[in-house]
Amino acid sequence: MRRLRVLLLKEWRESLRNKMVLFGVTLLPLFFVGISVYMLALGAGIGDPAGAIVLFNTSLMYFLILPTIIPLAIAVYSIVGEKEQTTLEPLLATPISDLELFLGKALASVIPAVLVNWLSFGLFLAATRIVVGAVPLQALTVPWLASIFGLSPLLALFSVGVTMLVSSRASDARAAYQFSSFAILPGLIPLIVYSSRQTLVDLRLVILEGGVLIVASAVVLHLAIRVFRREQILTRWK
Amino acid sequence: MIRTEGLTRRFGSRVAVDGLDLHVPRGEVFGFLGPNGAGKTTTIRMLAALIAPSAGSATVAGQRLGKANREIRRRVGVLTETPGLYRRLSARDNLLFFARLYPVREPERQVERYLRLFELWDRKDEPAGSFSKGMRQKLAIARALLHEPEILFLDEPTAGLDPEAAKTVRELIATLRSKERTIFLCTHNLDEADRLCDRIGLFRTRMLAVGEPAALKEEMYGRRTVVHLASPSPGIELALHLPFVTKVERLEDRLVVTLPDPDAQNPALVRRLVELGAEVRFVNELRVSLEDLYLDLMEGRDAKA
Repeated sequence: MRRLRVLLLKEWRESLRNKMVLFGVTLLPLFFVGISVYMLALGAGIGDPAGAIVLFNTSLMYFLILPTIIPLAIAVYSIVGEKEQTTLEPLLATPISDLELFLGKALASVIPAVLVNWLSFGLFLAATRIVVGAVPLQALTVPWLASIFGLSPLLALFSVGVTMLVSSRASDARAAYQFSSFAILPGLIPLIVYSSRQTLVDLRLVILEGGVLIVASAVVLHLAIRVFRREQILTRWK
Repeated sequence: MIRTEGLTRRFGSRVAVDGLDLHVPRGEVFGFLGPNGAGKTTTIRMLAALIAPSAGSATVAGQRLGKANREIRRRVGVLTETPGLYRRLSARDNLLFFARLYPVREPERQVERYLRLFELWDRKDEPAGSFSKGMRQKLAIARALLHEPEILFLDEPTAGLDPEAAKTVRELIATLRSKERTIFLCTHNLDEADRLCDRIGLFRTRMLAVGEPAALKEEMYGRRTVVHLASPSPGIELALHLPFVTKVERLEDRLVVTLPDPDAQNPALVRRLVELGAEVRFVNELRVSLEDLYLDLMEGRDAKA
């Protein structure tokens, strides 16, 4: 546990000094919040309450995409960065266990992604209250809150698992980033489903996606753990 | 301290290390020499419990390889081929991270001690990425030493260092030896190996020769006395019938005589030559460099021939 904490702190210290990671973790959420509030402000000017709710629902979907995008940047640089700097071998020569290394890398991406997503959501509500005048609380239903607070850790976990798998095979960050991008697909599924049904989110759908994500994340993380073995890292990774 | 029996590592059908039998006692500086691709790094990785052997067994720092790998990693320090530093982190943060992973008691003090030892203290807050190659190497050596390991695996420790920094590293190795630390040194710098190592092993997939540098040279080449003659004295080498002389070669006005014990036999040799009418200018011993030995062994030449 102590080593895990030491690794996590090192990962975050490094991320804070990496402009690409900082951009992904801060500017992207701010952009999503900004564009959402701007759309809501435009919608409020039209004076259509039903339209305002649809716009609000659409904005909420960004908070299901963000937890898949944010960890990409951190995880890619955390793994490919180690490869590029040839720091993996000295790290593996310490008494750190394979599991601690894996968890350290995974949690270093998942924790900030989830926290930043929730923080962005709070910021979005506050900005909506300030700019538009009121938050349409009738649109902020239990299924939506369950999606944002319950699904986002699972979405982040899945995204990190995919990124770790891809990064173990990639030799540069750009390639890893491109190949990992399909990890955002699960975040887009509710967007597509909700848009096509043109209806409010219901709890059954949230639970269903949660279940699918748990299974998918378990499979991806299981594969990633197998890749994250000392022997594999030193002899098979590019 | 390190004992291996038939240690072997295969990668698919390729054999990287073939049946390595080795014993390195505590406090010894052991030079592990061989060309690129000889399997030196693979050997270090196995001994540092980073990769598993395909066959054979090893005990490192009293711990059985494969059974107490974590404990082995706690007790050994590894300097890898490349410094492998976190470029965005400061020198101090790089060392603190590793000090806390091992863990080191009083990490801050230990980090300061090694940064000062390698004269990096003044630049402790600068990112490692801004350092010169030599400074990065020094920082990597400091990292390998932080937890005061019983065994230190050093892969090319002075590569890329300026003469002054290389001297610091060599002095440090000598200091560590005096403190009973075992050092397993991989180097291409044969002069360095000759000066620093108690014993050397010449390795190419399997061990070709092991021993003290001087003893190995003697074993391979014998001891040779060079007699410098004032005049050519033709045919004198053919008349030199002495029972202890193994071999005589003539090189213009010099005779190269192979003897088992030159210290005791040189006077008799010179006396005999004078009796045969030779005018001896002076006598010296032919020194063979470790490089000669290395190249002959690697190229499969019989040095005595």
